Amino acid sequence: MRGFNVLLQKEFREAWRSWKFLWIPLVFALLGMSDPLTNYYMMDILNAVGNIPEGFEMLLPELMPVDLLQASIGQFQTIGLLVLMATFVGNISKERASGMATLLYVRPISFGAYFMSKFIVMSTVGFVSILAGFAASIYYTVVLYGTFEIGSLVASFFTYFSWLLFVLAVTLMMSATFKTIVATSCAFIVIFMGQMINAIVGTFWTVSPWKLPLYGVQLIRGTMEMSDFWWSLMMTIILTIVCISIGTFTMKKNASMTKI
Amino acid sequence: MTTLLQVTSLTKQFAGKVVVDGIDFTLAENTSTALIGPNGAGKTTTLSMLTGLLKPTYGSVKMMEGDLRANIGFLPQFPQFHPWLSALEFTEMAAKLNGVPAKKAKVEAQKTLEFVGLGNDVNKKIATFSGGMKQRLGISQAIVHKPKLLLLDEPVSALDPVGRREVLDLLKDLQQETTILYSTHILNDAEEMTDQLLFLRDGKLVEYGTLHEVRERFDEPNYVVEFNTEKEAEQFILQSEHIGKAKGRYVYIEIIDEKPSMQELLHHLSKFPYKIRKVARQTASLEEIFMKVARKI
Repeated sequence: MRGFNVLLQKEFREAWRSWKFLWIPLVFALLGMSDPLTNYYMMDILNAVGNIPEGFEMLLPELMPVDLLQASIGQFQTIGLLVLMATFVGNISKERASGMATLLYVRPISFGAYFMSKFIVMSTVGFVSILAGFAASIYYTVVLYGTFEIGSLVASFFTYFSWLLFVLAVTLMMSATFKTIVATSCAFIVIFMGQMINAIVGTFWTVSPWKLPLYGVQLIRGTMEMSDFWWSLMMTIILTIVCISIGTFTMKKNASMTKI
Repeated sequence: MTTLLQVTSLTKQFAGKVVVDGIDFTLAENTSTALIGPNGAGKTTTLSMLTGLLKPTYGSVKMMEGDLRANIGFLPQFPQFHPWLSALEFTEMAAKLNGVPAKKAKVEAQKTLEFVGLGNDVNKKIATFSGGMKQRLGISQAIVHKPKLLLLDEPVSALDPVGRREVLDLLKDLQQETTILYSTHILNDAEEMTDQLLFLRDGKLVEYGTLHEVRERFDEPNYVVEFNTEKEAEQFILQSEHIGKAKGRYVYIEIIDEKPSMQELLHHLSKFPYKIRKVARQTASLEEIFMKVARKI
């Protein structure tokens, strides 16, 4: 892993100076707080907007705290992932296309070290982001609805983080393998098509990375079938490692694609 | 002189098209070599293969001592940097990635930046740099780890005359302790600092040798005779059975395969009734050689 520390420092500096550690967590925090707030104030919002017929009675469902966390995770799953993936999908491919990679690739660096340094910085941004998102969602839920049990909440958070690591590994692998446009399409197809397929046939297909966000919520509900959970978690970790390996390999193989 | 790098039958094909076609050469330690040739001759492709970025289709690049990748510094034609970093951070990173220990790397980076003339800009972000400053930074990242071999792709083509002069002087300083291989199509520069010339055309090495050797090979002894007036020049042409071409007060005599011979020329001159201001032999400039090589089929 030659040059790992140096490359890690470079990646952190870049992420820090381009404000990635600020604006992406901010997006997640906004997404996280939106569901508890809008649901709680739904009646007031409707009244304020007006146009409700006289005598109209609407029955809003009784929401449990965990329902709001699930709704927030639903937001992270679409807009949140979109922001993270779009930010990082050019991480390797754009560096090659612009020629910035050239001055690094000619040095005796290890591609494994370079790939991992990028992955670790992405994961850290991802971690801070979902931490902000979860914190915002949980804070407003606790204030407005009710409390969670800490243990299962932490378990749920790290379950979601495992899923996020998988998403980021897929994104970076695609970036190492293809040009930016193709990488974007492929990464989005794998992650979002996977979610759709999971939504359609998920009842029968109980072991997959795409299941993890839901399983995290079920951990809090206490309705989790634990063997499915462990198998899915293991599969996710293995697939993440596979993506990292393939990504390292293709990054090295595609080194000559860098603009000279 | 000890050999530093040996290149054997280096060949590169892109989708069946041969871009570099089996070139052989060696580089001796602490010499500088110019890689010249028209656009599309394969100069950049050759350099890319020497850096290891591009795998040769066939052939090999061998450094006599040590690992090639650890011992080169490379400056691409249009170096691109990470704009968020400062000049010092980038140069320091470059040094560390080449194995210079952390403490020494910072000192070396500072020294190198001062050497290339960026001493006052070490902490500025690269995003704010001008083209000339980037070129200097490009040189500093290529030399900060004191590589044995420096590969430069068109190091001065993009610079204004002042910047070019300065960079050339920098390279002359480096010449003392480093082997330099650089591509260029600015022939004055090559004439100024070159021990050896490599002429590429259509991917083939068509001329190879020291500047002196190449010049000898292409030097056809052409003469110019200067007269006092245009009339005299014209008269000389008529009298000497069209030995050359008149242009103003000058007559240019091209000698091809010993024709006209020296005796013939002197004979005509001796019979000429007026005074002659000057008879001189012209040596071919690198530019003329370049044109000849580039057109030679």
